[in-house]
Amino acid sequence: MSLNKVIAGILLAIPFAIYFAIPAYNRVDPALYGLPFFYWFQLLMLAVSTVLYTLAALILRGR
Amino acid sequence: MLALSGLITFIVVFAFFVFLGFYGVSWRKGDLRRLDEWGLAGRRLGTLLVWFLMGADLYTAYTFIAVPAGVYAKGSLYFFAVPYVALTFPIAMLTMTRLWTVSKNRGYITAADFVRDRFDSRTLAILIALTGVVAELPYIALQIAGMQAVLSMMLYGAVNSKFLSEISLIVAFIILATFTFTSGLRGAALTGVLKDVLIWIGIIATLTSVLLSIHGGFSAALSSVPKSPPFTGLKGAAPAAYFTLFLGSALALYLYPHSINGSLGSEDRERLRLSTALLPIYGIGLGLLALFGVLVYAVPQALAVVKALGPNAVVPSLIYYSLPAPLAGLALVGIFVGGLVPAAIMAIAAANLLTRNVVKEFYPNMSLTLEANLAKWISAAIKFVALAFVFVVSSSLIISLQLLGGIIIIQTLPAVFLGLFTSKLEPKSTIAGWVVGMLSGIYLTLLANKFSTISSTVFNTALGPLYIAVISLGLNVLVTVVGSAIAYALGYRVKSAIREEELAKLL
Repeated sequence: MSLNKVIAGILLAIPFAIYFAIPAYNRVDPALYGLPFFYWFQLLMLAVSTVLYTLAALILRGR
Repeated sequence: MLALSGLITFIVVFAFFVFLGFYGVSWRKGDLRRLDEWGLAGRRLGTLLVWFLMGADLYTAYTFIAVPAGVYAKGSLYFFAVPYVALTFPIAMLTMTRLWTVSKNRGYITAADFVRDRFDSRTLAILIALTGVVAELPYIALQIAGMQAVLSMMLYGAVNSKFLSEISLIVAFIILATFTFTSGLRGAALTGVLKDVLIWIGIIATLTSVLLSIHGGFSAALSSVPKSPPFTGLKGAAPAAYFTLFLGSALALYLYPHSINGSLGSEDRERLRLSTALLPIYGIGLGLLALFGVLVYAVPQALAVVKALGPNAVVPSLIYYSLPAPLAGLALVGIFVGGLVPAAIMAIAAANLLTRNVVKEFYPNMSLTLEANLAKWISAAIKFVALAFVFVVSSSLIISLQLLGGIIIIQTLPAVFLGLFTSKLEPKSTIAGWVVGMLSGIYLTLLANKFSTISSTVFNTALGPLYIAVISLGLNVLVTVVGSAIAYALGYRVKSAIREEELAKLL
């Protein structure tokens, strides 16, 4: 397995690790304009995940 | 009722939608007498069109209506939709690229085509195809339920609103069936672009205007929510349900025929991977809409409508009361066509499966033209069956069937997803696994709902409440793997007609 594939695999796995850690984000504070952390953190991670997946897709290009 | 300027906007935009649907026939022209040209758009969709098509396909009217409705009624638990869409796309990046490649190499149109060759088993292929069709039908019906929610808000307070709503749906479906028949997946892809643009305008405009009009933003809304269910996070054993719900849903989404059909329409593997990687962006829109389920508690007018029409009115009523009529018309038509586009793709995908993997198994000498014609007629018929279903059957039964749909479609995971990575699964064991998964899934669902209307898909275990799809999939995989190991011990050897390189690169 090439180094690129390993890196892409790690990039794809990071969001799983984050979302699996429910106790870490199942909280109210810090709230954002009154919106509990539970909601805005998961939304923010969606944007982060998109960046990670896109990087993985670019790394895997042509392979 | 929506003001005249709003109704005019709705109708003008809908007319443009119809134009795009028919115009699809001349986009990158192909011989539409062939099934791959009609049902897969000739595998010619680029990065951007696949992104729009899949966005329109996966984030449907029903999703946009039901997720906020779920948050409104069940609180934070329903926010599982966000991690679900975050995690389904990496799974698709790994599986769909391989399925696309082997399909291009070997001319497959459906996942069941692949299963047939991979396992050298017609029985398994037919089972996979029928599972897909059965899971897809209530999904189409629910799109119609989403569209009904839009119409009943637009016609709220009008005389004969139920009659007007049914007539509108019938007209919309006749138009949809006609352009799908002529343009196939090309029409769906072009109209998908329009739908996505409208939905984004609607979400951003409504969210901004609701937040500006409520004093105190989310804090105000959260102070008016009921005591139970919890709205500020997961309490008690809820994390177990949350975890299995998003994991099971993420595993299941790309087993649905419409997801696979849309992915196979891509023009190449790299572009499919890139557009799939970019799909969670839509999830941000869905997540913001989910928050409408909380915000509605701070808008008394909208809340009164929701109490009268039911939770499905959350999004339409907030749009109605917070936006000026023309903009509200634009947002509502977005959700309305957001039901039509996926309904078209779902019907195409189900028709491809019925034609290729069920009818053709018994009439193998069918010509290519006959194959395509049959699929076109079946796809039209499916839409009207779903429509009739909505008019005749109660909405709670349709929702029950759709909830069950997620539990049954996941039983195709060993054959389709695992089959893409290993040729070592033995066909009879895979069939046995499917049977065990199917029976246990249905039985546990009935048991969890005390054998009446299905409203819950979680089962209480020693580990807490778990999504039944995950439990039954576990049993399915166990039987498949143990059965295959026993078959090997008894001297079974792989007969897969597919070589590894056919899955890995274009030949």
